[in-house]
Amino acid sequence: MKNRFTRLFGYTAVVGLLSLSTACSSDDDINSPDPEPNPTESRWITIAGAVMDETPGNGNGGTVLYSISKENAEDPNYAINVFDNGFQVRSQRTARLQSSVDGSTMFNIAYGGDNGGEFSKYIVNGGDNFEPTGGLVNISQYAGTSPRWVKLFDGDKTGVAVSVTSPMVNDGDTYEYTRGTATIVTIDMENVEISNNISFELPLPAEEEAAGHHIFRLDTPVLNAAGDKLIIGTWMGKTDPATGERDANAYERLGSKAVVVDYPSLENPKIITSTVGFGDTSGYRSFNSFLAEDGNIYQATQRDPGGSHILKINTDNEYDNSYDFSLDEALNVTGSYIQSWRYVKNGIAYVMYTHDDAAYTSFSDRTQQSFLARVDLNAKTAQKVDLPYEPDMYFFQYQGFVVDGDNVYVTVSPVGKDGNIYVINSVTGEVTKGAQLLNEPGNHFIGVF
Amino acid sequence: MKSASSYIWSVLFCFFSVVVFGQTANNSGEKAGQAISATYTVSGYLKDHNGYSSANVEVVLSNTSEEFKATSNYSGYYEISGVPSGSYIIELRKENHVEYGEVIINGEDVVQNFQIKNKGDYELSEVLLNVESVKSEIEKKGFAVNVIETEEAAVRNIQTNELLNRSVGVKIRQGGGLGSSVDYNLNGMSGNSIQIFIDGIPLSSYGSSFDLSSISPSMIERIDVYKGVVPAELAFDALGGAINVILRDDFRTQINASVSYGSFNTFQSNFNAVYQAENSGFFVKASGFYNHSDNDYEVWGRNVYNILPNGKYDYVKVKRFNDEYSSRGGILEAGFKKVNWADKFSVGYTASDSYNEIQHGAYMTIPYKGRFMEAEAGIVNLTYEKSDLFIKGLDFNFHGLYNERKRTINDTVTWTYNWSGELSRDRKGDPIPSQRGAQQGAPTIANIYRDIYSFRGGLTYSFNNNHKIGLHHVLYNISREQNDELWNGIRKNFIETRELEKNISSFSYESRWFNDKLKANVFGKYYQQKTRQMDPGVETIDGEEVRVEEYFSNNFDYTGYGMALSYLVNSGIAILGSAEKALRLPTDNEIFGDVGENVAENSGLEPEQSNNYNLGFKIGPYKIGEHSVSLYASGFLRDTRGMIVREPQMTLNDAQQTAPFVNLRGTESKGFDAELNYIFKDNLNLLVNLSKFNTRMSTKYDSNGKVLFNYNVQIPSEPFFTANASARYSFKNVFQKESLLNIYYNYAFVDSFYNVWVVNKRSGLENSMVPEQHIRDVGLSYVFPKKNLIVSFDANNIFNKQAYDNFAVQKPGRAFYLKLNYSINKF
Repeated sequence: MKNRFTRLFGYTAVVGLLSLSTACSSDDDINSPDPEPNPTESRWITIAGAVMDETPGNGNGGTVLYSISKENAEDPNYAINVFDNGFQVRSQRTARLQSSVDGSTMFNIAYGGDNGGEFSKYIVNGGDNFEPTGGLVNISQYAGTSPRWVKLFDGDKTGVAVSVTSPMVNDGDTYEYTRGTATIVTIDMENVEISNNISFELPLPAEEEAAGHHIFRLDTPVLNAAGDKLIIGTWMGKTDPATGERDANAYERLGSKAVVVDYPSLENPKIITSTVGFGDTSGYRSFNSFLAEDGNIYQATQRDPGGSHILKINTDNEYDNSYDFSLDEALNVTGSYIQSWRYVKNGIAYVMYTHDDAAYTSFSDRTQQSFLARVDLNAKTAQKVDLPYEPDMYFFQYQGFVVDGDNVYVTVSPVGKDGNIYVINSVTGEVTKGAQLLNEPGNHFIGVF
Repeated sequence: MKSASSYIWSVLFCFFSVVVFGQTANNSGEKAGQAISATYTVSGYLKDHNGYSSANVEVVLSNTSEEFKATSNYSGYYEISGVPSGSYIIELRKENHVEYGEVIINGEDVVQNFQIKNKGDYELSEVLLNVESVKSEIEKKGFAVNVIETEEAAVRNIQTNELLNRSVGVKIRQGGGLGSSVDYNLNGMSGNSIQIFIDGIPLSSYGSSFDLSSISPSMIERIDVYKGVVPAELAFDALGGAINVILRDDFRTQINASVSYGSFNTFQSNFNAVYQAENSGFFVKASGFYNHSDNDYEVWGRNVYNILPNGKYDYVKVKRFNDEYSSRGGILEAGFKKVNWADKFSVGYTASDSYNEIQHGAYMTIPYKGRFMEAEAGIVNLTYEKSDLFIKGLDFNFHGLYNERKRTINDTVTWTYNWSGELSRDRKGDPIPSQRGAQQGAPTIANIYRDIYSFRGGLTYSFNNNHKIGLHHVLYNISREQNDELWNGIRKNFIETRELEKNISSFSYESRWFNDKLKANVFGKYYQQKTRQMDPGVETIDGEEVRVEEYFSNNFDYTGYGMALSYLVNSGIAILGSAEKALRLPTDNEIFGDVGENVAENSGLEPEQSNNYNLGFKIGPYKIGEHSVSLYASGFLRDTRGMIVREPQMTLNDAQQTAPFVNLRGTESKGFDAELNYIFKDNLNLLVNLSKFNTRMSTKYDSNGKVLFNYNVQIPSEPFFTANASARYSFKNVFQKESLLNIYYNYAFVDSFYNVWVVNKRSGLENSMVPEQHIRDVGLSYVFPKKNLIVSFDANNIFNKQAYDNFAVQKPGRAFYLKLNYSINKF
């Protein structure tokens, strides 16, 4: 019954929205890359569910998509069973998803498994109808079968994936450094092909290298305001120079770092270092840095000894160390950790996080509860969004926020339990409960697109 | 290291040749005496159904290569002499009545009496064979066991693994051609939960350079496949079952050599020589093998493409280019047989090494170039067996071995290659550095050195024919060290050492009741495992950095028990049931990790446990006229907890590029096996078997007490329905008198399965399906009249269909092999 009902709704929506969605997907406005979506127009909202494999919440069993209209997404009486009726994206583990700003196109790179690194593009036709378009492109030779990638906010034209080979200790009998080779690859998402690639070694200053520090992973590139530099987040590692093994002792972390390269040539890599944050700047499975209207880039930190910070990178592509935003201070917690976040506008962002005192989830004794906060980057304040929290709320793998005008759409559900789409007005902070998300034990939702 | 092994090898081969030629010279001197001791006599009395002596019955003893005939005299007595050891079909023929039995000759003369069941006066009627063959005897003990006789395989190009694959309830997962790693699946359980034994010695103690392909089927007497419940005498931790390969033990002086050549430059050779002194019981056995294959078979399809500089796919049909395999080895054994102080006493030395290129990882989408594995092992062993030790009925056996071995994974090529074997290039035409570092992971030349000693002892006492108790113990100790030649010198000063020791004791009580109608075997097993780790590190003591060693150790002990029962409803129908609370201790690689394979250490790993149940029946063989039929069917249940699997990476752990093994899922396998055998005269032999099982997730609840979506759902990447049909037809006296021509046909079917969880048929799943597989092989063998030369020809996968392993890795297509088998046993 429910199945037939949702299908019917889907078809009606397809007919009604066909003209609108096709109009939106054409990129006729080149000068302002990301035209503000018109919130009065309808659009597709695609919900992504992550299937467990062997342990609840791990999301390793694949990813399922299902699209509904914006109106249905806002309707708390509308219920969707993504796992029963959705489309299984071809990816052994959780797919790495991105969408066009207007929601009419989904982009995916399969993560792990036999087709890991395969980029595919789908036209969203509603329900479980995702129409492949443009063919397949595989970036695994450049970025591996478990690639880290995001799209740039350049009118949905470009995707960028980055990787670092396993850092190796230098040859010889004395310790000098640990280094890997970095690779950046850009994907022309319009023509569905690889447009550029580059590989280079990433030496740190000699003193830092001698202490064992190295860049262990790159992630979450972002394009600067001038459109001439990419700023790439880093995840740092450390070798114990006394043994040549991974350092298991406690050590002092270096200031947060990012790699800056020319765009679109990808050349001239340069490392910048913050004196405010000391965490990694790699994010996890989605964006971690955003360009705001003021021309600055805001970048979150993870595993920061002082709790997560949001750092500012100015138009000179350097850390602005006069800007100090500590999430710990803003929320009055300790050990905050930004898992996923999204900048909206006017200095307002929504941040998914956990912290030291958060409850442990019931499905894993290593995982703590996640929360959502509204952050004002200008006022340097943060406030927890009022949601029906439960210890099994888990946003670590969260990938997708839809920003539509003033509104932000998120999926909120504990692992293995039903939840809802919530529509949050970023200006007023008002929270409205939207469509009901029917879940299956062990599975969870990783976003809307 | 390489040169050392070559040295050992050449020495062995020299010695070996000396022994063999020395022997022949020796033999020619006492030709007459030797000939008698090399063969045996089968004799006995034949009676009809009324118990009267039956004269003029034609008695034919045959196997695929030889045939002997005699006719019973007026007393019903028959005698056939000059028969070598082995298992034979005996055919009793009088006018229109024919009856069959089996006779095993195992190094001594056999007396075998028969009562012919021709009730109505020589009318053709249903007759039951009441002669228990070894196969039938073992299969009717109550264990879920199938016994594979290798006689046919011995003369053909059939790998021992292939033979197992065709056997009921056994599925072999081999990701490629000769030498590629093999995973055995018995009734839905696989991996390390299946133990392979050679004459009761775990194959794992011989090292990876010595595997079942190192043993020529001609050296194998038979293979016992125990599913789920494993008898106590194989006192080892075999959770899901055991495959015990019984080598031929017919100690008569002989030389046997076989050589085969075929597709993909595959060359396989075996050499086996035995010298048995007539009076002293002294014997020397020497055997050697050399196998090589380029494995350059063609691959194509969804997973075979070159990635163009712009990332698009170019689907190609290409030959594998980094998959060469060679292995060689020799075994030398000397001792005494059938002397008053021992049934068998021997010392032996085995040396082997192998070179194995690795074409790809678990999936075939990314081809590797230059990754390879080398292994070498040297083993000294000692065997002592004595029945009726001190008192009658007390049997003792002891087997000890010491093994030194080394395994190296070499992966240092830092560029990316495509399936055409060329460097992958980017849009600018530059080669693309491998983002993994090397082909599979970071560049590595990873060595693991293992020293293993293992002692097994068994003591059994038979009170009379009906009650037997047994006590068995195994001690297995392995110390190992691993390093990487690419490590910085500093790291090399901090090499960890690891030690693992297993002790497994078992007790069994075997009994027969109600005129042998009920056979029962109950047993208990006690398992102990100790691990000891030494981690060197640096500590600052009095301001100076010094190297320190830290020690950790860990102990476990567990008990298990089980039983096997069989009840003979009548002489043709047996009901079989068995159950075991079984256990598998983690292996050294699972606990200590493997740098070359990116496996991290987990010293807290616990054993896997499983409750295994089997229930089945065996009917026949029934004979109607010249038709003989037998049927076997069995159902099974395996309830496994704490399965040892690679940890799925979740969140923060992604920071580590290696993953350990963890005790994770629970699964339940349920299913059945069935096998039907039909024989017409001794010309046609038809065997059909099928195996269907479901391995389902048995972890039921999430932390909220709700039933998980994949509870009771078939786990991904496991075929669950397989069937096999084979036919053999024999022609006698073709081309030449006294010759034998056999034609074979085999058809194997594997149903389609998915590589992802399938709870409902949502869209998009079709991309993760491994399609149905239908593979047909044909072959023929020709035995020359003198019986010492056999030529065989095999054509595998004749329609060149795609055959896959569990992760859609393609196996060889159409292939042809020619094999010559030559033996001398009359000197």
